[in-house]
Amino acid sequence: MGTILVVAEIQKGAIREASYELVAAARGAGDHEVNGLVIGSGVGDLGSEFASKGAGKTYVIDDTAAANYNVEIWTKAIKAAAEASGADLVLISNTPTGWDVAPRISAGLDCAFVSDAFKVEAKGSDFAFSRRVFNGKLDAEISTTGKTVATLQPGAMPAYEGSSDGGTEALSVDTSTRAKFIEIKIAESTGVDLTKADIIVSGGRGVGAPEKFPEVIQPLADALGGAMGASRPVVDAGWLDHPYQVGSSGQVVAPKLYIAAGISGAIQHLVGMKASNFIVAINKDPDAPIFEVANVGIVADLFDIVPALTDAIKAAKG
Amino acid sequence: MKVMVCLKQVPHQDARLDVNADGTWIQEDNIKFEINSYDTYAVEEALRLKDAGDAEVVVVSIGPDRVTQALRTALGMGADRAIHVNDPVAFEADALGTAKILAAIAKEEGADVILAGLMSDDGNAASVPPMVAELLDMPSATGVLATDYGDASIKVERELEGGAVEIVELPKPCLMAIQTGANQVRYASLKGIMQAKKKPVDVKTVADLGLADSVGAAFNKTSIDKIHVPVKGDTAEILEGSTDEIVSQLVTKVKELGLL
Repeated sequence: MGTILVVAEIQKGAIREASYELVAAARGAGDHEVNGLVIGSGVGDLGSEFASKGAGKTYVIDDTAAANYNVEIWTKAIKAAAEASGADLVLISNTPTGWDVAPRISAGLDCAFVSDAFKVEAKGSDFAFSRRVFNGKLDAEISTTGKTVATLQPGAMPAYEGSSDGGTEALSVDTSTRAKFIEIKIAESTGVDLTKADIIVSGGRGVGAPEKFPEVIQPLADALGGAMGASRPVVDAGWLDHPYQVGSSGQVVAPKLYIAAGISGAIQHLVGMKASNFIVAINKDPDAPIFEVANVGIVADLFDIVPALTDAIKAAKG
Repeated sequence: MKVMVCLKQVPHQDARLDVNADGTWIQEDNIKFEINSYDTYAVEEALRLKDAGDAEVVVVSIGPDRVTQALRTALGMGADRAIHVNDPVAFEADALGTAKILAAIAKEEGADVILAGLMSDDGNAASVPPMVAELLDMPSATGVLATDYGDASIKVERELEGGAVEIVELPKPCLMAIQTGANQVRYASLKGIMQAKKKPVDVKTVADLGLADSVGAAFNKTSIDKIHVPVKGDTAEILEGSTDEIVSQLVTKVKELGLL
């Protein structure tokens, strides 16, 4: 029996849901002892909470220098906790914090690394993982040898809801750093608030050109009385501004009706819209991952379907 | 100042992806390749540094002969030199092995700034760049959207969730993994492409870098056992028929939802 270390992440003063998903993954991956790690400033209570809600014995690094995320402090902290716990597997959420620090732990410990897994299983004394590759088009089954660091895709499994016995143990690390945190800036509101729309019509790379948004996508949104959105490649290309972006780094929406036109369905987009009540996907590629989250799919050219649908909606409204 | 850009050539985003005979990767014959989209933004970031001052830009890639084309493109965009690790031992390395190769080159070059894309469009792992930074014991930042260069340090804007960004200051030497959309990527001009033909491309092997005893399949700790089309869960109900038939079914759905 080995040990799995789960690294908690704190957001708005509380332990993130994704951290309890790590606990669930750890508890589901064979017969292992589970240990937790909480890093921050004034986080003693959160350490106790993590210890009692599934993480078991939890290491706490409580230092004013760790009030904000810092890649060097986190690297040293996780390495120290991995060593203290003798962890065979270290689990971290695949968030902007996770993908910033986790690969460094693997390099620092000279051990195996798996990123953005949606499944973890014990495989003898080692571990096996499943993850998406090629922007969601294929799955890879990965196995690792020896000590392993892995990040898990948030939302891929339900959060752990049980309890655990376990106290906390303070750990201290050298908190001198070269990288300096300056500030976090929250995006200013720009008037495009997709989260309040009942209907969203989003276009992706398949729309092909910036002028096609006002010509083809916006008219359908208007006919339905909804709002227009977009996937990341559209915003990256400068065709639409960031406030239109739906996805993990844009707006997370859950309208009554979401129409995705020419969007293949990269994970970061799906995270932002899969909670929608009803999803219609229009894409030429029958294997596009978007069809997996859609209620209704149309394998066709969006330029055939969307204008015709716009006319039909207008006609139906009279 | 020396800027090193790590660049990967990946299957074209619209390439047909068929699983290869032993089921461990895709069939690479007869498909088009391109520079990883994230890495194009890293190349552009490096070229902007060069435009602003006296930076030398070295692009580095690992891969078979086809990778020459990606390096030539980057040289055509304005990079000064290229290093091509063309060695089957390197192609078989896992992410940490790859990072060891890139770290060894960065050390040889004495890079002040290392740039890479946040992740690759094939593996989607985002693993190599922070590993390189750790191996070189330098600070790093990932998901970089904007940079502000000072004499000794760089103010970096990192993308967080929901439109938030974090500003962090990194002293040089450091590594930055660039997010897509960070800049507008230039095209290689005709003049640039002509000049690129005269620019040096050094070819190296794993042994040249002194890594024969630490990098390659035998040293991998992570391996791909199998690659396959995702197991479909509850997939969409696919509407069939003529455009008119499909549209009328959609209108019915919208009515059922009470939205018409």
